[in-house]
Amino acid sequence: MARFRNKKKVFVKPVSKKQQATVDHVTGDKIPRSFVFSRYRLPGPLKQLQADLRKLMLPYTALKLKENRRNKLKDFLNVAGPMGVTHFLMLSKTPTAPYLRVARTPQGPTLTFKIQEYSLATDVVRSQLRPRCPQDLFKNAPLIVLSGFGTGEQHLKLTTILFQNIFPSIDVNTVKLSSCQRIVLLNYNKDTKLIDFRHYSIRLQPVGVSRRLRRFVQNHQVPDLRNLQDVSDFVTKAGYGSESEADDEAATVTLASDLGRVNRASTKSAVKLQEIGPRMTLQLMKIEEGLCSGGVIFDEFGNGDGKKTKDNHEDMENDEDEHDEEDEENDEEDGDDIEED
Amino acid sequence: MAEETHMAEAAREPRKRKIGKKKGSKAKKKAKMLQSAESIRAMKPKKIDKKMQKLYRKRARDYNSEDESEQDNATPLGNNEDELIGGSSSGEEAEKGGDHSERNVDNGFSDDEEHGEILPGIMRFTEGSNAFRLAFRSIIKKTVPEDVLGPVLSGQKKLVAEKLAEEENERKVKGEAKKEKQLVIEKGHVKPANYLDSHEKFLIGVATKGVVKLFNAVNKAQNAQKGLNPSKFKDAKVIKKRRKEAFFSELGKTSSRGASASAKAHTSKGPVDGEGPAWAPLQDNYMLTNSKLKDWDKMPDTVVGDDIGRVSEDSSDDD
Repeated sequence: MARFRNKKKVFVKPVSKKQQATVDHVTGDKIPRSFVFSRYRLPGPLKQLQADLRKLMLPYTALKLKENRRNKLKDFLNVAGPMGVTHFLMLSKTPTAPYLRVARTPQGPTLTFKIQEYSLATDVVRSQLRPRCPQDLFKNAPLIVLSGFGTGEQHLKLTTILFQNIFPSIDVNTVKLSSCQRIVLLNYNKDTKLIDFRHYSIRLQPVGVSRRLRRFVQNHQVPDLRNLQDVSDFVTKAGYGSESEADDEAATVTLASDLGRVNRASTKSAVKLQEIGPRMTLQLMKIEEGLCSGGVIFDEFGNGDGKKTKDNHEDMENDEDEHDEEDEENDEEDGDDIEED
Repeated sequence: MAEETHMAEAAREPRKRKIGKKKGSKAKKKAKMLQSAESIRAMKPKKIDKKMQKLYRKRARDYNSEDESEQDNATPLGNNEDELIGGSSSGEEAEKGGDHSERNVDNGFSDDEEHGEILPGIMRFTEGSNAFRLAFRSIIKKTVPEDVLGPVLSGQKKLVAEKLAEEENERKVKGEAKKEKQLVIEKGHVKPANYLDSHEKFLIGVATKGVVKLFNAVNKAQNAQKGLNPSKFKDAKVIKKRRKEAFFSELGKTSSRGASASAKAHTSKGPVDGEGPAWAPLQDNYMLTNSKLKDWDKMPDTVVGDDIGRVSEDSSDDD
């Protein structure tokens, strides 16, 4: 059996035949791509979180990345090169807490976050009365909003840069508003030193139009006029007085171009955000120079440069294990175990 | 005891009677002769329908044949009853006596007739069923203490109880272990509340602010170049000029302006790109514009244009 397995391993699957453009044809910027995968085995809920993160990173990610228990970091790295993958998101689990590592390939740096709390997309959807998921929600990359990172500390600046570059940049002069459907928010809390990670969908609504009319225009359904004396009532009656959507002046925008049937460039539109999940509360633990290796730039506990404290020792151990195994299997071609659909 | 011996005799009788009906009647008569005056009253049973008599006899025979010995059949009924009831008290016996009288009334037989070998089969049959009935009734009437083990006598023994307790314990331990494992697995997993608390509202507010800023910036930028076709040389020139102006004006008011991270970062980036030709591959720095993260800490000094947006946005968001 062992021989068979070895033979199977030698077969190298041709990686992604249709080469996607690695460069945005309008702005000329390099499109960042990402892999979301796990290190070692994950329990059920974390697997779900991984799937959610992959969905969040769409469209420039491998949604159905298949990983093997025996895949080493090096395998992913081997595949990442030809496919133009620039970022790795790695989930792992220790008895104390799950961890998320965000790394830039191939050189690093690597940020290690401890996931204090998390909620899955399904949890978020379940908590909502009317969950919303338009068809083309995941066809475009999300916007990213980073707030509270400007405390001047170096590690926060690095975090900002890393997260800004994880999604393709937007050129204000050419961007289409219809492609801005999602937003990822990272909010740094100075006092608790925690980062709130949220994922919202963006919805635009015309301001100053009654709900009835909006529904009518959106749905194209014949309205129920039984209770009305005149057709004009339908337009003039405000409906229920409980319209809590007190239009915030701060949340209204004037659009550059028409967006759908309802939102015209001439009228004002209100921006509504609805959470789609996942939700995470992250704590930055440490920053390493290399890809899951190298000198420690920042450490939550030690705060020293290149100094290894006891807390990050377990992670280092893991990495060392990895290296040992890699050395043993160096002669084997491991890259074929990763497939992308 | 005298009655019981009679009964034993009666038990033997059916064999003789089997031969014929008439003989049976004769035997009956003989028995009658032997009996004392009390048996005179035994004339009544004769009135029972013959067919019914036959049936009764047959039933009695069937009933008796199941037992090992005929002799024991008649007498031990009482004993069997006792066994069935399982250590029944004397009170139950008294009850039995009461039942006897009841049955006598029903059938129209007297006690003496029963022992007087007149239709002994019938007697036994009726008595047998009666005993069973009694036993069953006593069981039904019995009040059982509320217990996990129920009325099973053997279950009352300590062994079973211990076993059950052990099982319960095991289950408990297993359940706890499972729970702990589940806890470890679910560590950090939080189900969100189905309402928006103040923190969530604040976060949504922050995100909304960012979106609004981006949209406004987009609106501003795209309104400026409305009606101009970037592929035309003349228009492209105008666009370039406008962008340059916008860029320098942005530079001038970086400290005062607040914008979302992405919006700002990209607004500042846009104009920088806009300096070159409109189509990306024609630019000088095409494909070279990826930020060098290796020297991230030297960035503020070297790449001014790229970084101003980020720095300003960070500082502004804190306000």
